[in-house]
Amino acid sequence: MHVPLLIIGGGLSGLAAALRFARFIPDVLLLEQHARIGGLNSYYYRNNRLFETGLHAITNYAPPKLKNAPLNRLLRQLKIKRKELDLHQQNQSEIRFINKESLLFSNDFSLFNAEISSKFPASHNGFQKLLQIIEQYDPFKPLPFISARKIIQEHLQNELLTDMLLCPLMFYGSSIENDMDFGQFVIMFQAIFIEGMFRPGGTIKDLLDLLLKHYTSHGGKIKTRASVKHILHTGKTVHGVRLGNDEEITCDYILSTIGSEETFSLLDEPSGLDVLPRLGFVETIFELQPDTTLQQGYDRTIIFYNAADRFEYRQPQTVVDFNSGVICMPQNFQGLPLASFKEVRTTHLANYNEWKQLPRKSDSYKAAKDDTALMSLSMAEKILGNFTQNIVYRDTFTPLTIKHFTAKKSGAIYGNPVKIKDGDIGYDNLYIAGTDQGFLGIIGSMLSGVSIVNQHILPRL
Amino acid sequence: MTRDAIKDLILEIIEDIDEDADFETLQADKPLRDQLDLDSMDFLDIVMELRKRHKLQIPEEDYPQLATLDSCVNYLEPLLVDA
Repeated sequence: MHVPLLIIGGGLSGLAAALRFARFIPDVLLLEQHARIGGLNSYYYRNNRLFETGLHAITNYAPPKLKNAPLNRLLRQLKIKRKELDLHQQNQSEIRFINKESLLFSNDFSLFNAEISSKFPASHNGFQKLLQIIEQYDPFKPLPFISARKIIQEHLQNELLTDMLLCPLMFYGSSIENDMDFGQFVIMFQAIFIEGMFRPGGTIKDLLDLLLKHYTSHGGKIKTRASVKHILHTGKTVHGVRLGNDEEITCDYILSTIGSEETFSLLDEPSGLDVLPRLGFVETIFELQPDTTLQQGYDRTIIFYNAADRFEYRQPQTVVDFNSGVICMPQNFQGLPLASFKEVRTTHLANYNEWKQLPRKSDSYKAAKDDTALMSLSMAEKILGNFTQNIVYRDTFTPLTIKHFTAKKSGAIYGNPVKIKDGDIGYDNLYIAGTDQGFLGIIGSMLSGVSIVNQHILPRL
Repeated sequence: MTRDAIKDLILEIIEDIDEDADFETLQADKPLRDQLDLDSMDFLDIVMELRKRHKLQIPEEDYPQLATLDSCVNYLEPLLVDA
């Protein structure tokens, strides 16, 4: 079998890349090692219902008239109509630093601006100046690492506010400890605070099915349960792949969305990339009785919290750091069809190696999962009020679960801290897209796939 | 293909990219991108559609020749002579 383009990984970046390419050249093959597509943003069934993985909210909401907004560019590139997605905007979200301060934000930026002015009046002018810099900054210009924390602190002169601004942006897409590159900060600030959050009316399965339907309607092909064992290459030119069942597929180009280190290991070559700590996460889903009314914060979509003296975004020394986290209530979007379920989802930083040291099949791993759920629950109840009695089902994903289902090294959902922004890893006809290219979130990862195909592959075929 | 037919072809492709594109005030000698709010990603669609519809392989170094409606017609006229 020979194809012009072979894409490794059926997550959102791979799917978007495949669809973009198939619109013009149908002979493209997408390989996914699991039975189900979606990668980090997928789903599973328990108790006769579908549970989403990954998806809390989609960032980068934009009204139709903003033609150059990432969401609208993406829809044009994939030729998907906006109404096919059925978009629902968030109610409102909150950054809560317990016993310190709280900031509300929504898809109307004036709320966030007013919150900062009233709660941090001394930082008001500095914040306006920072907004001007964000607006004028070109985050795609290749520059060495610039500390976002340093620039924000210089303008705001308030460490608490600096931490509060960084907290949601880090949790929703930073692979670096305690700081971000300023360009990445600008992208995330726009995606979360200026544009805002939404979700589709259906589940992530509906979104994946929609992408797949468009892709196959153009003639694109997909192979699931197809793990790649080797990328066949001579020097810096790739020829194809050998699958787990020893089948060989040849191709003119490869786009790999599985991560940079992970791609180099299929090439049997050292990556030469710096090794920095990778950030692991745990997530617990609490399914509640449908008629549950949460006492406090019941209408919030997402709450980013910190309970420690200073907010620390780094690999914890223990299995999980409960001092900070994200609490998501996926039913709290405007105008969603009435769901027959209610959920609270919690996410915290975790240490992959600490989890890995627990013997997997033993009681200690299971006990650590149970402890995680209960500790996480007690943190969530501090913010939302008690809901233990309303829980009908719960499930916890550890960094090992994430590694198992997504093949992300160390279960690090945001991948390698070293990003390769142009997707070029030094090969003639092999490029990377997705998490390790550096665009994050659902819209970001899809744009990553699209833009690498546009930049390196479509014009050359 | 006549010059007018080529012009229609380009406008049809652009309309396909952005159904709200406004051609009323379009000036044929001014860059399409600035007038129609197209970015470089949209622009690639024009190239790829020409390839799909007319088997035209436009090399990357020629992309600048597609900047305005007039320059598109000038560039494509000899290539679409038999189309």
